[in-house]
Amino acid sequence: MRKIYALFFFVILVHSAHALRFDFEKINEKSKDYIVIVNTKIEVSFGTQSSEVQSKTIGAIVSKDGLVLFDGRDIDSDNPYSIMSGMMISTEPKSIEITLLDGKKYPAEYIGLDKFTRLAFCRINSEEKKEFKFAAFKKRDDFKIGDWVSAFLLLPEFVTPRLGADIGMISAIIEEPEKFVFAVGFSELELGSVLFDTSGIAVGILGELENPAFAGLESSNMPSMSESESMVSMLGIIGAEKIEKLIKNPPVKGEVTRGWLGIYLQALTSDIAEFWGLKEGGGIIINEIINDSPADLAGLKTGDIIIKLNGKPVDVDKEENLPIFQKEISESGAEAEVNFDILRRVEGKVDTLNITATLTKAPLTPAEAPDYEDKNFEMKVRDMVFVDYNLYKLDKRDFKGVVIKEVEPGGWAAVGEMEPGDIIQSIGSDKIGSIEDAKMVFRKLSEQKPKEVVFFLWRDSKTLFKNVKTDW
Amino acid sequence: MIKILVFLSMIFIGLAGIISAAIPPLQKDIYTARDKVLPALVHIQPVITDYRTGKMVKQSVVGSGIIFHRDGYVVTNYHVAGKSERIICTLYDKEQVKAELVGGDPLTDIAIIKLDLSAYKGRLNIAEFGNSDSVQVGEYVMAMGSPLALSRSVSCGVISTTDRFFSGDVRLPSGERTGIYNNWIQTDAAINPGNSGGPLVNLEGKIIGINSRATMFANNIGFAIPINIVKFVTNSILTSGKVVRSWIGVQCQELQNLEGWFGTAVNEGVLIASIDSKSPAENAGLKAGDVILKVNGRSVSARFEEELPSFYKLIADYPVGTRLTLDVLRGDQQLAVEVTTQELGDILGEDLECKDWGFTVKNITKQMAVDNQLDDTLGVFVSGVKRVGPAGDAGLRRGDVIKGIDEKPVNSFQEFYDRYTELTSAKTQRALLTIRRLGSTKFVLIKVESSESEKEDN
Repeated sequence: MRKIYALFFFVILVHSAHALRFDFEKINEKSKDYIVIVNTKIEVSFGTQSSEVQSKTIGAIVSKDGLVLFDGRDIDSDNPYSIMSGMMISTEPKSIEITLLDGKKYPAEYIGLDKFTRLAFCRINSEEKKEFKFAAFKKRDDFKIGDWVSAFLLLPEFVTPRLGADIGMISAIIEEPEKFVFAVGFSELELGSVLFDTSGIAVGILGELENPAFAGLESSNMPSMSESESMVSMLGIIGAEKIEKLIKNPPVKGEVTRGWLGIYLQALTSDIAEFWGLKEGGGIIINEIINDSPADLAGLKTGDIIIKLNGKPVDVDKEENLPIFQKEISESGAEAEVNFDILRRVEGKVDTLNITATLTKAPLTPAEAPDYEDKNFEMKVRDMVFVDYNLYKLDKRDFKGVVIKEVEPGGWAAVGEMEPGDIIQSIGSDKIGSIEDAKMVFRKLSEQKPKEVVFFLWRDSKTLFKNVKTDW
Repeated sequence: MIKILVFLSMIFIGLAGIISAAIPPLQKDIYTARDKVLPALVHIQPVITDYRTGKMVKQSVVGSGIIFHRDGYVVTNYHVAGKSERIICTLYDKEQVKAELVGGDPLTDIAIIKLDLSAYKGRLNIAEFGNSDSVQVGEYVMAMGSPLALSRSVSCGVISTTDRFFSGDVRLPSGERTGIYNNWIQTDAAINPGNSGGPLVNLEGKIIGINSRATMFANNIGFAIPINIVKFVTNSILTSGKVVRSWIGVQCQELQNLEGWFGTAVNEGVLIASIDSKSPAENAGLKAGDVILKVNGRSVSARFEEELPSFYKLIADYPVGTRLTLDVLRGDQQLAVEVTTQELGDILGEDLECKDWGFTVKNITKQMAVDNQLDDTLGVFVSGVKRVGPAGDAGLRRGDVIKGIDEKPVNSFQEFYDRYTELTSAKTQRALLTIRRLGSTKFVLIKVESSESEKEDN
């Protein structure tokens, strides 16, 4: 990380020598009231585990009533399939704190995330302060390659002031897949920052053009991208027009609306296509269909190959490109009707069929599952979710319980040898079917105050009993 | 004259007394024990096979062993010689002889090899087994063997504990589970890699254990398999080539701190914590939470975890197919449950190297299916994938279960072997494997380029 900072300071110096036309004093003076640091707490699921993480980004107040726009990549909810491939999925922020440049801190309420710009929105909650100075953006359609823009850079926590300046150059203006003005010279640490042109006027926000193929891929799961491909900077300007639209109509949070089909899938590589005598690769092989899922209800079958989604060819010919399809399904949202052209191989013949499925809401992730913290036993438990049943091959009809999410080190649960990931099936003689059951039993115990309690747990496909002592 | 003789003999007696007084009794005992056992000590150099990297790798290792039978049988650890191809032994007089594997038992980490004495001119020395039930904490012991390949080495210490138990999953380097049916004797006599298979000897010169494990990053904590277990295992191997065990499929747990909840008296009963799926116990309707009070009328108990191995051994020692009557406490009810034991069978299956495709597979045994939560024993288990090779390139992974080739089911190890041999001898360049991974099915296309089979990787 240090290296990166060092590198950017170097870049700043070199640039500044050539392009001193920026009036940073003016920029600072104008922006000091609306540039903010956004500190979000989110919970990230990884497989059946989840943990809380903090993220800090630059943001800007964009309306009088305290609407704040910031880089939302850390809170961008992933798609449900990625759990299967061991990727991370995050929840909506649990809390947000806004720090103004004068050091004042305000709590903020999360509003939502725009999936395309990956800009997130929140609103400052303040009793004392009702009106805020905010950024006004100037529409500019006349950017030319070679124009310069400047952005703020969030410096590490131990330095004051927290912001530095950086400048970049417009490097390309593209029309496909969407209109986007690329800029070179900026880093991902500056995403969410307001951009200023040489006259010191705010012209947009630094955003990222997303390559759908890379979306949601964590480093542990990085596909074998070529070096050059992974190094290409996709940063650029989200212009005033788009920002205005977003401010008028901010994305809505709340209901999880990720669409879900309910299949296990694999890319149709050109090798496998050739082996099966198909014309070309590119498609989704359905390896398995989850019972009663939208795919099941629509009549999709194991072994079907999806070649078109809503009439558009599915160009997935390697595993790394699966997220393109997954994201498309996910972003179609719940209740959406999606149409598939599929190939069905029957005894050497290949039939072409057209099937429409109605997506449902994606199953909850471990981080989204309702949870409960018990102070007496010093542990946190959560409801079982889809991935628990699927990964451990448990039968939803006869396997019930709550998952231990956290165990406080040195707490009674820890001393009693309970571990995160254990599934509590009963407490004493009470069977635990859901988080509500667990809450009720914990409440009952806090009234009865027993000296010790026997938990019946499921761990690594085996069951066991644990005697847990208490303070009572 | 007589007086002189008397005087002289008194001097001799006195001298003898002084000389013997110069060797303290403990030292004398150590010498005696040393002389009884050290001549029967064997330095063993087997070549073992390992399939975990996706190909068969031969590796020369070093261990120790002890001759316990006049026909040249040597007992050592399973992890030293249990999977050996060829074995060279160096005897006490530094003569080298070849040996061959007679049999092994991973569950107790014991193997027997037989020395080829056809060309050996020396006198064979045999060590004597003692009784590990009578060893005591604090008793002086010697460990003999070839620590770090330094042969004929003796270290000394005391017994630190007589019934060390390791909870959790203890596995041999080759991946087999071990230590379910025995506790270990712990000693502070130095035990290092290479001591494996060597004897732990008491001051009577009798073997009370076979050294098998040392704790890394700790000083003077070594473990030996009690000789009474070794006696049982060697007898089984010498009479029937292997150890046959009965299995009912219960995982038990110590009752300490849980007696109040289950309503048992102190030192009464063995608690069932978990039931293996598709096991005799499951078929008999046993449940987690049942407390077994009696097995065929014999009271059993496991209040502490150290008592679990002897309960498992009690079950294992019944002949396979025995109909056991278990007196079981379930809640406040007492039931008699009949369970017919099955053979435990091999822990790990046979290995096969699929050289042309760049991976290795194992036959799926009943225990592997239980262990890896597989639905059944159909197919073969991928035990290793070469990083560079057709399977590695195609994305096959260790732990995958191959269920089919070219979309036709492969149900057994033999079927897989036949199909593999058929396809590779026909120089087929494409094979589509159907695999199960993490509860889902996937296709993996193996592409063999014509020169691939001759290419050697690094």
